[in-house]
Amino acid sequence: MGDSQYSFSLTTFSPSGKLVQIEHALTAVGSGQTSLGIKGKINLVALCHQCCYCYIEVVGMLVANIELLMIPSYVRSVIAAANGVVIATEKKLPSILVDETSVQKIQILTPNIGVVYSGMGPDSRVLVRKSRKQAEQYQRLYKEPIPVTQLVRETATVMQEFTQSGGVRPFGVSLLVAGYDDKGPQLYQVDPSGSYFSWKASAMGKNVSNAKAFLEKRYTDDMELDDAVHTAILTLKEGVLTPAEIEDYLQEVE
Amino acid sequence: MKIDFSGLESTAPLCGANSEMFDGISTSPSFQIPDTTDFDDFQKEAIQMVKPAKGTTTLAFIFKEGVMVAADSRASMGGYISSQSVKKIIEINPYMLGTMAGGAADCQFWHRNLGIKCRLHELANKRRISVTGASKLLANILYSYRGMGLSVGTMIAGWDEKGPGLYYVDSEGGRLKGTKFSVGSGSPYAYGILDSGYRYDMTVEEAAELARRSIYHATFRDGASGGVASVYYVGPTGWKKLSGDDVGELHYMYNPVEPTVVEQEMSEA
Amino acid sequence: MSIFEYNGSALVAMVGKNCFAIASDRRLGVQLQTVATDFQRIFKIHDKLFVGLSGLATDAQTLYQRLVFRHKLYQLREERDMKPETFASLVSAILYEKRFGPYFCQPVIAGLGDEDKPFICTMDSIGAKELAKDFVVAGTASESLYGACESMFKPDMEPEELFETISQALLSSVDRDCLSGWGGHVYVVTPTEVTERILKGRMD
Repeated sequence: MGDSQYSFSLTTFSPSGKLVQIEHALTAVGSGQTSLGIKGKINLVALCHQCCYCYIEVVGMLVANIELLMIPSYVRSVIAAANGVVIATEKKLPSILVDETSVQKIQILTPNIGVVYSGMGPDSRVLVRKSRKQAEQYQRLYKEPIPVTQLVRETATVMQEFTQSGGVRPFGVSLLVAGYDDKGPQLYQVDPSGSYFSWKASAMGKNVSNAKAFLEKRYTDDMELDDAVHTAILTLKEGVLTPAEIEDYLQEVE
Repeated sequence: MKIDFSGLESTAPLCGANSEMFDGISTSPSFQIPDTTDFDDFQKEAIQMVKPAKGTTTLAFIFKEGVMVAADSRASMGGYISSQSVKKIIEINPYMLGTMAGGAADCQFWHRNLGIKCRLHELANKRRISVTGASKLLANILYSYRGMGLSVGTMIAGWDEKGPGLYYVDSEGGRLKGTKFSVGSGSPYAYGILDSGYRYDMTVEEAAELARRSIYHATFRDGASGGVASVYYVGPTGWKKLSGDDVGELHYMYNPVEPTVVEQEMSEA
Repeated sequence: MSIFEYNGSALVAMVGKNCFAIASDRRLGVQLQTVATDFQRIFKIHDKLFVGLSGLATDAQTLYQRLVFRHKLYQLREERDMKPETFASLVSAILYEKRFGPYFCQPVIAGLGDEDKPFICTMDSIGAKELAKDFVVAGTASESLYGACESMFKPDMEPEELFETISQALLSSVDRDCLSGWGGHVYVVTPTEVTERILKGRMD
């Protein structure tokens, strides 16, 4: 294996300029269970920046084997519409003997921010713990909830530090951070390298390309939160359901 | 327990000195001493209780035409300004002035007491007491109370048979003859102006302006001095008040302000 | 003498209708000695947020530098100005950091918050916040300032009247304090404008 001499120390670049340990971490993410997130009604953001009725609702097991988090905010404006952000993940258990109530892949960081991972579950818990601490520190300093961007950056900083420090390895997870703050609904994906991007909708884990293609097809800027929930479920079910079954499902919810 | 200081009496007791009628004026005052085991501690506390008028600027100087006496008018208790209109120049008699620095009550009381003694001296001897004599009367009394917490820093200025006279007397027992004194927390600032501007052959106007300016500068720098700068002049015919200017106005008289610098807009957001 | 009174100061902030004013004296003294009469105790954090620091001058300047540093860092990080409430929490946290060796300062914070709502508050030297709807005072002349403000303040004043009121309150208060005065410095802040004025006062 040509890579082997560069893959031992994660802080050693390969001649082609890559840190192969990070690539391996991404591979771990790619083989993890699928997660996705969708932002709804972003064109209404400006109208609702004063909204104080945002809350988080974990909708567990809407459809079998799916965990879903909805962060809605109810807009008080001429157009009475809900907007917010949804994140969802597959929850395939290794055996039917596992007590499914003991597994929670979506975690809440603050009352208005939630996170889901693809990849190695134990690694994600480290990040969740550090992120929660960061959010608490911000809250303690400013007596104000941490904005989503700030928390995402802090989390990404931690992930980056684990790509450059000695004696550690990168996190084997990518995160989707969903939240609602003064700037409206927000969705970020953070990768093991520590890079992060804001998305209208994104997916990661197994079947990313299919899921992303599906989202690209179905996503619209004026998506209501309910639509986003259904789209999330459908995206995860894609490959399992036939196009005909998808039509049936949509028919059913309308 | 009482301490009797009648031995310090400068005039011979009138006949029937113990009669009710003369008690209190002819005898030297005596005070009740507190019945306490720890007198020092009691005193410390008592001093704290009667502390006002610590900050002051007073000055006096002899020049060709007589003596110029000036003072501010502020009374303070710690940081608090309790009055801006205190008379710190005490008129002992038409030819003699005393200044007030230190404890207000102590100064007022002992100056009045000195006034009485001076008048009695005048009646007994058919001539006015000399500035030297008056200041010594006061110094002796203050010395007799030394260490008991009196706080007095005064100048006795006047005109007597020998011409102008000026003495500095304090509650520590000090008594100094001189031609130029300043007393109080603002005195260093007053001395600064006084020393640099003083000439013996000044006119009354020049001397009055120097005194006023010295007081003004002291009130500017010294937080405990302020109010009105009063200027008195003692000449061969007795004392006369020359001016009493509010230093709030004096400042802008000495330092005219161009209106352009006074006000400015900072920014428009 | 308390270390808080070493340099002498007078600070006051008042709320008006969609505006606020913050004012201070201009003296810097060493105990009773007046050293400067153009001392700055009120600082601008941003166009709608001001902080006044009464108490020991050296600590006021150091604390101000730390506050500016923290605010600039916040601006760069979050790409926005701090809300007055947020800033007050920050000041409080910074002060409490030094619980057992405090800055000898009593801050006054005044700003326009969301929808230009005026906000004023003061705190002690270790960060106990005290919010007020009408006015806050601090410094060696605080007792006299309380008296003056209590009798002169009216709710919902327009900027011009607010300026007149805060100036009169300040000037009359410092005339009863040996350690503050020597002129005044007033800022009146409305959503669109910051007006800064230097007041002439008694110089004794």
